[in-house]
Amino acid sequence: MNRATHAARRGRGTLRLAAGIAASLVLLAAPLAAKDHAVFAARSGVELAREAAVAWAADAVLVYVENDEPVDGAGGAVRWGYLFHSPSLEKSRAYSVRDGRIVTAENLEMRFEAPALADGWIDSGAALAAVEKEAGKTLAKTPGVRLSTMLLMRGPFQDGDPDRTAWTLIYTVPEQPALFVLVDAVDGKVRRSWRG
Amino acid sequence: MRLTSFHVRAIAFLTLGAALAAAAAPRVHAQVPASTDVKVERIKPEREKYETVRFLKQNRDFVRRRFDLLREKPVGASGDAGSIDPRYLEYSKMLAAVLADRDSVTRAAEARDRLTLLASITELGQLETQLDQMDRLLAAQRGRLGVLQNDFTGRQQTALVVVASGWPAEATVDSITIALEDGSRTTVTLTDAQRASLRDGGVLQLFHGFVEPRQQAFELTLAGNRWAAPAPAWVTLDPARDRITFLKLDLSSVAQGGAADMSARTWIHDESLPPGDS
Repeated sequence: MNRATHAARRGRGTLRLAAGIAASLVLLAAPLAAKDHAVFAARSGVELAREAAVAWAADAVLVYVENDEPVDGAGGAVRWGYLFHSPSLEKSRAYSVRDGRIVTAENLEMRFEAPALADGWIDSGAALAAVEKEAGKTLAKTPGVRLSTMLLMRGPFQDGDPDRTAWTLIYTVPEQPALFVLVDAVDGKVRRSWRG
Repeated sequence: MRLTSFHVRAIAFLTLGAALAAAAAPRVHAQVPASTDVKVERIKPEREKYETVRFLKQNRDFVRRRFDLLREKPVGASGDAGSIDPRYLEYSKMLAAVLADRDSVTRAAEARDRLTLLASITELGQLETQLDQMDRLLAAQRGRLGVLQNDFTGRQQTALVVVASGWPAEATVDSITIALEDGSRTTVTLTDAQRASLRDGGVLQLFHGFVEPRQQAFELTLAGNRWAAPAPAWVTLDPARDRITFLKLDLSSVAQGGAADMSARTWIHDESLPPGDS
């Protein structure tokens, strides 16, 4: 075996070593990247939660949705909560979804016979976009305003037409009452806003 | 005897059949699902808890008061009946087709019985035609089975099956209880026949039901002659969404420690049909 062959083999060995180190670094970096959770709109998690709910109670219906982590500018959050009610069990059970998995499931320790949400409700992004379109300039002028909560339900906040499923966006303003904005979840129109 | 094209075709068909049968035999063994050990723990495993539906919990009294203000109002609209799923209407047609095909098969079988002696090439040709007809009927039946499979097995929900095997040498088990995190419990009281079956190497189904597709701890409790106050044990599983997860409990190692002495294995059931059957 000549010297050139030895050199070629050493070169290939060095390349393999470098490739091995690179692969190890990628594997080490993977868990760090996994800490960053994916942002998603409310609708994306509902089917998984619904499947869990019907395993819990066959007659379970979705009655409430709320962001479990802060909402971003596009109406997404890394974790959403879905509440289901079972008329037969007379109980409600909540599922919190993150990264396509249910990370928490718990029974709600209160009676909550809420009506089922209407089918075809607009997603959180569309609801936020409707508010931005209607009142974006006003909100931009309010110092320190921050969207803290988006919740979807049917009944309590809709004085005129309580049967409509609606998104309620709650903005906190420093040293002022919170600002509530109600968006019809079927036609996507802003219905009203109030301080409370 | 003179070899005709039919004979050649028949020999080739039989050879192919034998080859397929030989290939299928080891495949049965190859499809045994791979199972993994799961830990049976004496203490309920702690999992990170995340707060959910915070606003609702913090404002429960307000929300409930608002709900109380809502009253049902009668509406003028009449309640129309929902339309029937057209697939269910198709099933009766499929059943009629099955019965018609069965008649065709019966007629062909009767005709074949009458052929006691295949004396001429013409008769062999008739038999060949009948075989072709049966092939077509089988293909039609396979298509119908495919429709049923898509309609029913295609909608598998997340499910768990818990089975037990083995029998402890140092204890008698009277009942086994499985509790889910949502609070539902299933207790199976063992009969003498079931105990005898487990002693003889049988497998007993304890639970088969829908479960939430998420990581969760299942509480297992054994009642029997060795435990005055049965201590529970926990098995953590993450049932795969839309699949059937199996949990097999081995009772043979159970002694003074009760349920925590069991060993357990889990696997996911492969509900797909082998190729060729679909």
